[in-house]
Amino acid sequence: MFGLHYRLEKHGMALLLGIIFVTSIGGLVDIAPLFTIDETVEDAPDMRLYTPLEVAGRNIYIREGCYACHSQMIRTLRDEVERYGPYSLAVESKYDHPMQWGSKRTGPDLARIGGKYSDEWQVAHLIDPRAVVPQSIMPSYRFLSTTGLRTDDLGLHLKALSRVGVPYTDEMVTNATADAIAQAGADGSDGLTTRYGEATQARLFDGDPGKVTEMDALIAYLQILGRLTNAAHANSPPPGE
Amino acid sequence: MSGGAERDPISGYMTTGHEWNGIKELNTPVPRAVWFFLITTVLFAVVWWVLMPAWPLGNTYTKGLLGIDQRQVVQHDLRRAAERMPPWRGAVLRLDYASIQADPALMGQVRRHGAVLFGDNCAACHGLGGRGGPGFPALASGSWLWGGAPEVLAETIRVGINSDHPETRVSQMPAFGRDQMLSRPEILAVLGHVRSLSGGNPGSELGRDLFAANCAACHGEDAHGAVELGAPNLTDPTWIYGGDEETIFKTIFFGRQGHMPRWDQRLSELDRKVLALYVADLAAGGTDGTH
Amino acid sequence: MVAKLTRAERQFALILLGLMALCGLVMAAGANDDLFALHGGLILAVAVGLSFLVISGLDAPEPPPERLAEYYDAPSRVAIVLTMGWALFGLAVGDWVAWMLAYPHLTVDAAWASFGRIRPMHTTGVIFGFGGNALIATSFHVVQRTCRTRLAGQFSPWFVLLGYNLFCLLAVSGYPLGITQSKEYAEPEWYVDLWLCVVWVTYLVLYLRTLAQRREPHIYVANWYYLAFIVVVAMLHIVNNIAMPVAWNHSRAYSAFAGVQDAMTQWWYGHNAVAFFLTAGFLGMMYYYLPVRAQRPIFSYRMSIISFWGITFMYMWAGSHHLHYTALPHWVQTLGMTFSLVLLVPSWGSAANALLTLNGAWHRVRDDATLRFMMVAAIFYGLTTFEGSFMAIRAVNSLSHYTDWTIGHVHAGALGWVAFISFGALYSLTPALWGRQRMHSAWAVEAHFWLALAGTLIYVFSMWNSGVIQGLMWRTYDSGGTLAYSFIDTVVAMHPYYIARAVGGALFLAGAGIGAWNVWMTIRSPDTVSQPAGGDRPLTILAGE
Ligand code: HEC
Ligand code: HEC
Ligand code: HEC
Ligand code: HEM
Ligand code: HEM
Ligand SMILES: [Ca+2]
Ligand SMILES: [Ca+2]
Ligand SMILES: [Cu+2]
Repeated sequence: MFGLHYRLEKHGMALLLGIIFVTSIGGLVDIAPLFTIDETVEDAPDMRLYTPLEVAGRNIYIREGCYACHSQMIRTLRDEVERYGPYSLAVESKYDHPMQWGSKRTGPDLARIGGKYSDEWQVAHLIDPRAVVPQSIMPSYRFLSTTGLRTDDLGLHLKALSRVGVPYTDEMVTNATADAIAQAGADGSDGLTTRYGEATQARLFDGDPGKVTEMDALIAYLQILGRLTNAAHANSPPPGE
Repeated sequence: MSGGAERDPISGYMTTGHEWNGIKELNTPVPRAVWFFLITTVLFAVVWWVLMPAWPLGNTYTKGLLGIDQRQVVQHDLRRAAERMPPWRGAVLRLDYASIQADPALMGQVRRHGAVLFGDNCAACHGLGGRGGPGFPALASGSWLWGGAPEVLAETIRVGINSDHPETRVSQMPAFGRDQMLSRPEILAVLGHVRSLSGGNPGSELGRDLFAANCAACHGEDAHGAVELGAPNLTDPTWIYGGDEETIFKTIFFGRQGHMPRWDQRLSELDRKVLALYVADLAAGGTDGTH
Repeated sequence: MVAKLTRAERQFALILLGLMALCGLVMAAGANDDLFALHGGLILAVAVGLSFLVISGLDAPEPPPERLAEYYDAPSRVAIVLTMGWALFGLAVGDWVAWMLAYPHLTVDAAWASFGRIRPMHTTGVIFGFGGNALIATSFHVVQRTCRTRLAGQFSPWFVLLGYNLFCLLAVSGYPLGITQSKEYAEPEWYVDLWLCVVWVTYLVLYLRTLAQRREPHIYVANWYYLAFIVVVAMLHIVNNIAMPVAWNHSRAYSAFAGVQDAMTQWWYGHNAVAFFLTAGFLGMMYYYLPVRAQRPIFSYRMSIISFWGITFMYMWAGSHHLHYTALPHWVQTLGMTFSLVLLVPSWGSAANALLTLNGAWHRVRDDATLRFMMVAAIFYGLTTFEGSFMAIRAVNSLSHYTDWTIGHVHAGALGWVAFISFGALYSLTPALWGRQRMHSAWAVEAHFWLALAGTLIYVFSMWNSGVIQGLMWRTYDSGGTLAYSFIDTVVAMHPYYIARAVGGALFLAGAGIGAWNVWMTIRSPDTVSQPAGGDRPLTILAGE
């Protein structure tokens, strides 16, 4: 063995190929089967798509780096299920490009935050976390409620997402901007619900009818977290029910 | 330069004979301990692979002799926890509210667990210990919108207020200004009257009349509120939104519709019962909410 | 630096800079979103700035052809300065972020200054800015010395170094503006990622060509590690960053993979960024500077072989230990855990090889703070890998994951290993490259050492404490059979440890500040003694062999 190596280390290219070979194996075995083994991602026929407004909100979540403090992954541990709700399933993030599972919980897990609090609370909390939770160490995101949301390019966003495999239809792409504005307005629109489902929440997320802000988008996203599908609840109905 | 192997005087081992800008290497054999630990850890790994789900095979994977999977494990843990429910939880589930409240030991557990549940779910709005927050009622104040009996609290918690539950409690404070039911001077007059109710300077005659005509329907002739409508008592010193002139003006001008989430999908019946008891206890001063 | 290039190379540089300026201009003018335009402007500005530098030296006399018979150290010299600059930046931002968690109300209340935007400035600043420049500086130096040849390119080393720093600059300036993919350690957006691909492939080619023209029959261990670092980082970077831009002129892109596959790819990348960036590269560094400084032969050539191939093979399987108990299938977690355990053996093999090399040189360790930096680094390397393998056990990870324990582990590795070995190497390298006999102030090196050690210990111990406490609080059931603490209780409990960590970080930063001053003074004040340190075998003599 050492004799073999004695010869190998005389050849730069051989060493290079050796390294490439040896390092390719582990990654291939870990990753490739995740695409071929069907049960890796559960079936969830009721799985909905993010609406354009929610996509925009998700982009704000990404832009602000919320993953630095918040996980979106409830582990298969009793205490996590009791604190946060049913453990997360793979299917729940199957449209997340990229996923935001996170690796640090400076703040609580957000995988099931949707519907836990009211929009009013989310606004108050994002504007000044310590006004509602005096012990909080979360930063303030005051500027979100004054920054108008960019909606004109949402069609391009949906298009790009459809290219990486999210089943957005051409109709959704064409109407992306209008759908986003409709969802953040008080009225909603028929188109929005026919395209994205009856359960789509359309309302004044930031409480301000004036304009569609980044606050609207982020809260629309937070309020959908954990509610794209009910698949996770099928495994463990609310404890004790 | 190879072939120049020499003995290192300090360690006594031979060098390999190569030299790179002065660096030499000893040809020391790999210490036994390294082989030993390599073999041990690999053996452990092999055993683990046999016992646990481990190796992918095309479109399936080896399930392992123990047949363990993390999801079954946690479901089992949860099931076992439910089966071995501590006696006090069984008692809380079984007994009626009055009997629980009469049992100090049970109430001790309610206070402990209630504080944690409250901290994780309710304190964000109602503040730790129920001291309230801007726009969120102080549950420890004893000034109720819908009533403070534990049964009533449990129902409020179950369906929420102005939530998306089909049986939700519904309440709304109309927007008298925005919807042009009252003019600005009228609002100011009624505002003065409202402030006088909780001990401020006496308000005007006009204010009192306007209140009787517009507000008493919900808040009551005496302004003590109406639990059937979720309308707050305006004569006590606690406020949801605030008792200063500016805030009351906003309340009357723009109206209010507080939103309390439903908890039927998120918390079990038992946990909601614990919370109802805990909240009732907070208001009764049984605990300051810390633990 | 321009004078060392030939006329043709200077012209080539100008053409490239022109192309770069054009690129920046097109990005700025044709952008679909403001952030993309801002970055275009930044690229344009950098290109113009560098062009001035080249133009000012354009008419310098042609360098003598004999220069090709000397080692090419100018890029390493610049890289050292950049390393110290990035160290100060990254550490200062790290400490800022640490204070931010202790006293959140003290922060600047502005969009760009929130924790989520500043934290990646720290991680990128230290890992890629500080670590990456230290690796480039030393790899250029080491590969020439151990191959007894000059770098196989006159222009490409500059392209690699400056191109890489442009990457760091675009990354770090992007986060406060809001340009990020929020993929941990791979935050830069698609166009910055593409740029790094170009730079990194050039780096690989340069390195391979230099190895190919070596005058030593064998390739020294340090180069195995540097080579593995370069080629594997290329693989990781490319696969993990495949993404679909919203438009060619838009700063946002959506990564190709989603959900569970994305998670596994991300942590295959993330874990092996640790393995090949923060470990393999720095092991290469250790394998050169430690024996040179200790003046001892490497303890065991055979153990080097076992460790090297063990590390390269096994690390690649272990990424799933970042995803224990998640929606990742259990079987992958089993592989991640078991390979992490076996991985401990080659890791300790490397640490032991370093420490046993010091046998016979312990008096030097005692007297020479530079060597002591490297000795402590090897110890922390052993500690961190032990801790890592321990944390990779599922049951342990159920406690440590998501908590500050991970942060403690990270900084045991990052401060104790990565930064210590880098400072040790820099203190050896700086006098050698500037032809000085020694560092300007030996006392300052000593002070830096103790500040760094104290800072590291305070940091790591406070995070171990807070991590374990938080992990336990999350899962503690009281006698009544229900959870004993709500989440916010655990936030409150972290406060004292966050203060301690920030104080530790401040000590570490102060040490680095002294180090930067010392490096600067060494560069600035020439020795009165004529005999320079370094003791390299000169290329010129051997060239005719
Ligand atoms: C410095 C770390 C930090 C950052 C960055 C951060 N948070 Fe938080 N977050 C916290 C902490 C700590 C809490 C718990 C205390 C509280 O409720 O404020 C929290 C709580 C929350 C909650 C309430 C969760 C619950 O179940 O009570 C939400 C929702 C939330 N954060 C959203 C966000 C979003 C969205 C972002 C990014 C725009 C963000 N956070 C960024 C630290 C952070
Ligand atoms: C998103 C914020 C929010 C959260 C979280 C929340 N509440 Fe509320 N809660 C409210 C608001 C707002 C009201 C008052 C509604 C109104 O103004 O009409 C309210 C009212 C109540 C009332 C009625 C009080 C009365 O006077 O009748 C009770 C009881 C209550 N909450 C208990 C709880 C409990 C228990 C929890 C946790 C399981 C909880 N709340 C969580 C916002 C919240
Ligand atoms: C349709 C029923 C209704 C009528 C009529 C009504 N209120 Fe209210 N009022 C409410 C309800 C319900 C709330 C609680 C709203 C909430 O908490 O979201 C409320 C809240 C308030 C509050 C806020 C109390 C606090 O703690 O911050 C004030 C002040 C108030 N009303 C004054 C008035 C005045 C003055 C009038 C007449 C001009 C009036 N209300 C008429 C139902 C009514
Ligand atoms: C045998 C070697 C090692 C093993 C098995 C190992 C294992 C681990 C484990 C299990 C985690 C925690 C994952 C989680 O729970 O999220 C982790 C995190 C981490 N380790 Fe190591 N580690 C090793 C060596 C190192 C070294 C030498 C460094 C050098 C700096 C390092 C840097 C990191 C970093 C940066 C993280 C944090 C990743 C994140 O952001 O979550 N590790 N490691
Ligand atoms: C002055 C010294 C330093 C201080 C005060 C410091 C502080 C911090 C802080 C506060 C965090 C965020 C932790 C959290 O989110 O809770 C962090 C994360 C991190 N730091 Fe440092 N840091 C220092 C030096 C370094 C160095 C030298 C490196 C690498 C070479 C480094 C690498 C990292 C990494 C990889 C993370 C992310 C860890 C994770 O996500 O698990 N740090 N640091
Ligand atoms: Ca992390
Ligand atoms: Ca990237
Ligand atoms: Cu790892």
